[in-house]
Amino acid sequence: MVIKLDEVVVSGLTKKFGDLTAVDHIELSVPKGSVYGLLGPNGAGKSTTIRLLCTLLRPNDGSATVGGFDVVQSPVSVREITGVLPEEGNHTLYQTFSAYENLEYFARLYGVPENEIPGRIEELLIFMDLWERKDDPAGELSTGNRQRLALCRALLHNPKVVLLDEPTAALDPVAAKRVRELILSLAEKYSQTFFINSHNLAEVQRVCDRIAIIDEGKILLSGNTQELRAKLQATQNFRIRVVNNLEKAESIAKATDFVTSVEKEADSLIVTIEDPFSNNSTLMESLLSQGIRLVEFAEEEATLEDLYLEVIKGGAK
Amino acid sequence: MVLYKSMLVARADLKMALKVSYVKYGLIGVAAIGPIMMIAIVGLMVFGDPVVAVAILPSISVMLSPMLGMMAIMPAALISANALVGEREQNTLEPLLNTPLTDRELLIGKLLSSFIPSFVLLIGSIAITEIATIIILLSVGAQIILIPGLPGLFLLLTAGPAMIIAIVSLMILISGKVKRVYEAYQTSGLTVIIFFIPMMIPMFTMDASGIIDMNLAWISNIITFLIALVLAAITWALAVRRFNRDTMISM
Repeated sequence: MVIKLDEVVVSGLTKKFGDLTAVDHIELSVPKGSVYGLLGPNGAGKSTTIRLLCTLLRPNDGSATVGGFDVVQSPVSVREITGVLPEEGNHTLYQTFSAYENLEYFARLYGVPENEIPGRIEELLIFMDLWERKDDPAGELSTGNRQRLALCRALLHNPKVVLLDEPTAALDPVAAKRVRELILSLAEKYSQTFFINSHNLAEVQRVCDRIAIIDEGKILLSGNTQELRAKLQATQNFRIRVVNNLEKAESIAKATDFVTSVEKEADSLIVTIEDPFSNNSTLMESLLSQGIRLVEFAEEEATLEDLYLEVIKGGAK
Repeated sequence: MVLYKSMLVARADLKMALKVSYVKYGLIGVAAIGPIMMIAIVGLMVFGDPVVAVAILPSISVMLSPMLGMMAIMPAALISANALVGEREQNTLEPLLNTPLTDRELLIGKLLSSFIPSFVLLIGSIAITEIATIIILLSVGAQIILIPGLPGLFLLLTAGPAMIIAIVSLMILISGKVKRVYEAYQTSGLTVIIFFIPMMIPMFTMDASGIIDMNLAWISNIITFLIALVLAAITWALAVRRFNRDTMISM
């Protein structure tokens, strides 16, 4: 008997709509309790992947298991252990039903025991700061509140796997931060596995411990977030912030042989230096000797954005 | 299959439909038209000439009873358009499909959400018509005649539910083709008219003297019932085949 420790395992999964291959033989594996981010531009196949995982769509080829259940063979079991926040979740509520009625209806559909429903709804609404609005029709709530209500709906039955499609889209920064904190605390507290679709790189960087990048239905890269960032070898990038005369500093950097690129960013220059261990001090001395007063000369950490752009452009291996 | 879950869907659909004022008042209005017309006709005849009325009321009953059935079909079309296409239009279909409901439970839920209120309205309108006409007849001391009479009751209680199932099944099929509720209403309006035709067969059993041959009325009602049954069976089978998550989401 094979014991699968990964909560979501996808192998060769393919979905076609007519001539369009929305998801093209993708391979994924999401460890239990992890927060997994699927990154990609619009139309890359992110939402289709979630819809395949939550059994809304049937794959044309390949297989996927969620919590050990095959999405084609045992779709009802998959749906019992998954909570889903669909794309534009805030628009997927019954607008004329109150916040409480929306959750009560879904709690029953998910089979939450009748005597546990009031307590569970209260717990979630209080946690999401919506308890005071429980009797308001969902249609009268703000976008952020509706999104949080939709998130409550996805979490009602304590699902083992939570599939979130752009969870913080359309949220203000405060609400988005709350949602991110919630995801992290739930993953830690209940070992719930989160699978998040996003094109918000900063969000993925903050929340996810593993990511995959998808484009045109294909997984271009996947792995541990830290490892992927290291792959970029972007330690050759340095940020130079100056007090005065940024233009002069730029021309000095450009005229230097071992500087391969110079980009201006607000009050700073981002420069790429060949063999930085040998050449950093030379550039610094050159700038100081020509009257440039430095505030910062620091290694620029590679971000997911760098990684993402590199992968999407086809640069990553 | 858990009927409880289907009933949950049906209750939510009905609750949602009744929160839309034009649906709520539309249902009340449509349900009221049949009894009001029948009671008015009976009232005018009985208060005009009770003796003549008693003689021709059984024939009138055969002709008018199908009208109550037609009125029962219309709420079914109205609610099911809202429950099926409205769900997609309001983007609430996807979360519903994400729940552990099976396709069959959801389909039954959608059927019940239209069938139960339509059948209740049908029974209600029959009861109101019967009671009101009995009161009218008693008030002039005339002999009690059931309106709808036995052939009419047979028609309404057999062909009526079958027609409701047929129209809801048809709406399920239509819901895969249209994206907006108003389109569904328009399409359902047209199809309901087609479904009226079998219900009108009993009206053509009247002879030149204006009297209806009761044997012929029974035969025509049985034929109508059989047509309704076949329509219900065919449309339901097609709806079952058509109703699945992949089709609903992919469109």
